[in-house]
Amino acid sequence: MRLKDVIVGLAMTGAGIIYLRMTAALPTKDGVDAATVPTMLAWMMIALGLAELVGAWRRHSAQATRDLTAPTLATATVPPAPAVSSGMVTVVLTLVLIAGFVAALRPLGFPIATALYLFLQFLLLTPRSSRPPVALYAGLAAGASALIFATFRYGFDLLLPAGPLVAWLN
Amino acid sequence: MFDLLIQGFAAVLSLQIFLLMVAGVAVGIVFGAVPGLTAVMAIALCLPMTYGLGPAAGISLLIALFVGATSGGLISAILLKIPGTPSSIATTFDGGPMMEKGEGAKALGVGIVFSFLGTIASIAALAFIAPSLAKVALSFGPHEYFAIAVFSLTLIATLSSGSMAKGIFAGVLGFAVSTVGIAPVDATTRFTFGQVELNAGFSILTVLVGMFAVAEIIKVAETSRRPVDGSVKPPLVKIKGFGFSMAEFLGQIPNAIRSSLIGISIGILPGIGAGTSNIIAYIAAKKRSKTPEQFGKGTIEGVVASETANNAGIGGAMIPLLTLGIPGDAVTAIMLGGLMIHGIQPGPMLFLTQAPLVYTIFAALIVSACLMLVLEFWGLRLFIRLLAIPKHILLPIILVLCAVGAFGLASRVFDIWTILGFGILGYAFVKAGIPTAPFIIGFILGPMAETSFRRGLQLSRGDFTGFLTNPISGTFLALAALSIVWQLYGEYRASRGPAMANPLKLGGEE
Repeated sequence: MRLKDVIVGLAMTGAGIIYLRMTAALPTKDGVDAATVPTMLAWMMIALGLAELVGAWRRHSAQATRDLTAPTLATATVPPAPAVSSGMVTVVLTLVLIAGFVAALRPLGFPIATALYLFLQFLLLTPRSSRPPVALYAGLAAGASALIFATFRYGFDLLLPAGPLVAWLN
Repeated sequence: MFDLLIQGFAAVLSLQIFLLMVAGVAVGIVFGAVPGLTAVMAIALCLPMTYGLGPAAGISLLIALFVGATSGGLISAILLKIPGTPSSIATTFDGGPMMEKGEGAKALGVGIVFSFLGTIASIAALAFIAPSLAKVALSFGPHEYFAIAVFSLTLIATLSSGSMAKGIFAGVLGFAVSTVGIAPVDATTRFTFGQVELNAGFSILTVLVGMFAVAEIIKVAETSRRPVDGSVKPPLVKIKGFGFSMAEFLGQIPNAIRSSLIGISIGILPGIGAGTSNIIAYIAAKKRSKTPEQFGKGTIEGVVASETANNAGIGGAMIPLLTLGIPGDAVTAIMLGGLMIHGIQPGPMLFLTQAPLVYTIFAALIVSACLMLVLEFWGLRLFIRLLAIPKHILLPIILVLCAVGAFGLASRVFDIWTILGFGILGYAFVKAGIPTAPFIIGFILGPMAETSFRRGLQLSRGDFTGFLTNPISGTFLALAALSIVWQLYGEYRASRGPAMANPLKLGGEE
C-alpha cells in the first residue's frame, strides 16, 4: 500500500472526526437544528476517508496480484523511489516569508513590508542555474511596492497600512 | 429586450468602462497566455480595483478579464505547445504542429477568429436561454434549490477527479467550511471559536484567492529553483490579414457550429467546463472529418474545434450563474463573488429587479469579444514578449496584489491570514491529488443547500420524502444518484484497463 494514499485516507477520516467533535459541541434542539447538516457532513467525510483507505488497500492488492503474475515486467517497470524533494525547503521558506509579510504589514506598513517581501521572495525563487541580479531585484521590489501602494491608496481610495510612513504620507 | 440591450451598450461604451474593458481584455489575454497564470488569478487580483467602481463598470471589467483569459491560452498553446489554460489543451494538438510546419500565423489567425465566433455564439445562446430559464426558476422553492445544489455538487465532485471519494470529500469539506459563522434559519453561531471576524463566515474571495492563487504560488515555489534546461523563447510570428483564406473559413463553418453547440452545452453543466469541451469538440471534429488522418499533424480543423468550443463555454457557464446563482467552475465562482461584492445577487429575480444590469452584462460580453479579436491581432507581438517574463518575478507580485484584494474586503489583516491558510490547504489538496473545484463549489452552494434543506423540511413538516416526490427536485436528485453510479461504473471499467477510463476526465480542471 502506498504511504501517500494511506496518509490521504487517514487525513480525510481525521478531518471528519475533528469536525464531528466540533459539531457535538453545538447547541441542539428537537428536530432539524444548526447541528443537523454539519453532523451529516462529518459522517460523510469519515465514510469517504474510510472508502479512500479501502480503495488504497484494493489498489495495493491488485498491484500485488499483477506483480505475482508478471514478475519480470513488474520489476522492470517499478520506478525508483523518489528522493526527498529539495523543493519542500523552498516551499517552507516561501510560507515563512508570506507569514512574515502579513505579520509585518501593520508594524512596518505596506510599502516597507512589501518591498522586503518581494526582494527576499525574488531571491528565494531564482533558479539555481542563474546568479540573482540583486540590485535589479531591489529596484524592482521597491518600485513594485511603491506603485501598488500609490495605485490603491490614491487611485482606488484603499487605505493600505502605511506604518511608520503614515506621518510622512499625511 | 432590444431596448435593454441598447441601454447596456450605451453603458458599456462610455469612455471609462470602455477603457477599463480594453485593459481587462489585455490583462486577461496575458494571464491566459502565460502558463501557470489563470483566469481566476486575473479576476482575483483585479477585484479590489472594482471596489470603488459602480456595478456596471466593475462587472464589465471582470467580464473583460474572463473573456481575455479564456482566449489567451491559444497563444502559448500554438507558439510554445504549452496550453496556457486547460481550455486550450486540444489547441496544442494541431496548433503546435502547424507552428512547426511554418503555419503559425495561420494557426493563430484561425484560433483568434474562431475564439471570437465561439464567444459570440455563446452570448446569443445566453441572451435567448437565460431569460426563459429565469422565468422557470422563479417558480422554484427550497426543495428544487436543494436538489439542484446537490446535483451540481455531485456532478462536479464525480467528474473533476480521478477518485470519486476524493472529489466528493472535497465538495463536502467545502460545504463544512461554509458552515462557519451564523447558521441559517435559527442564527446559531457555529465554529467561530469566539473570533468576531468569523461571525460572517469566510468570504468567497479569500477562499478562492487562497485555494487558487496562493496555492499556485506555493506550487511554483517547489520547482522554481530547479536549474532551467534552456529557456523556451517564443518565436516571432508575422500575421498578414487573418492568416487564412475565405474558402478555408467557409469550409470550417459546420465544424464551428458543431463545436459551439458542444461548448455551450458542456458550459451549462456544472463541473465540466472549457477544460473538457475543447477535447470533446476536437474528438467530434476528428470523427466527422473527411481527413481524420491529418489530425495531430497540423490541420486548422483541430484548432477551430478546440478554440470555438472553449470560448463557447463562456456564455454557457454564465447561464446557470445568472439564472440560478450556481457557478459551474472556479472562474464563474469568482465571478459570482465579484457580482456579490457589488451587491448583485444572481438568480431568477435578477432578471426582474435588475434587468438593465443583466443586459449590460450581455453587452459587456459582446464588446469584450470584439476587443479580444482586435487586441489579439494588434497586440500579439507584445503578448508574445510577456510570455518571457520569469515566473519567479511575476508570482510574488501577484501574491501581493491578492493580499491587497483580501485586505480591501473589510480593511482587516485577518483576511490576508485567511488567504494564506486556504493557500496551504489548496497546496495540500494538490499534493494529495484532491480536486479544488468541488471544494469551491461546495463552499458556495453549501449555505444555499442547507437553507433550502431546512426550509424544505419546515414546509413538508419534517417529511424527508418531500424532496423525492416533488417532480423537479426528485429528477435532479435522481440525476445526482445517476452521476455517482456512472462514475462508479467508470472507475470499475478503468480498473480493468486504462483505455476504458471515463472520457469526460480528459482536460479536467486540475
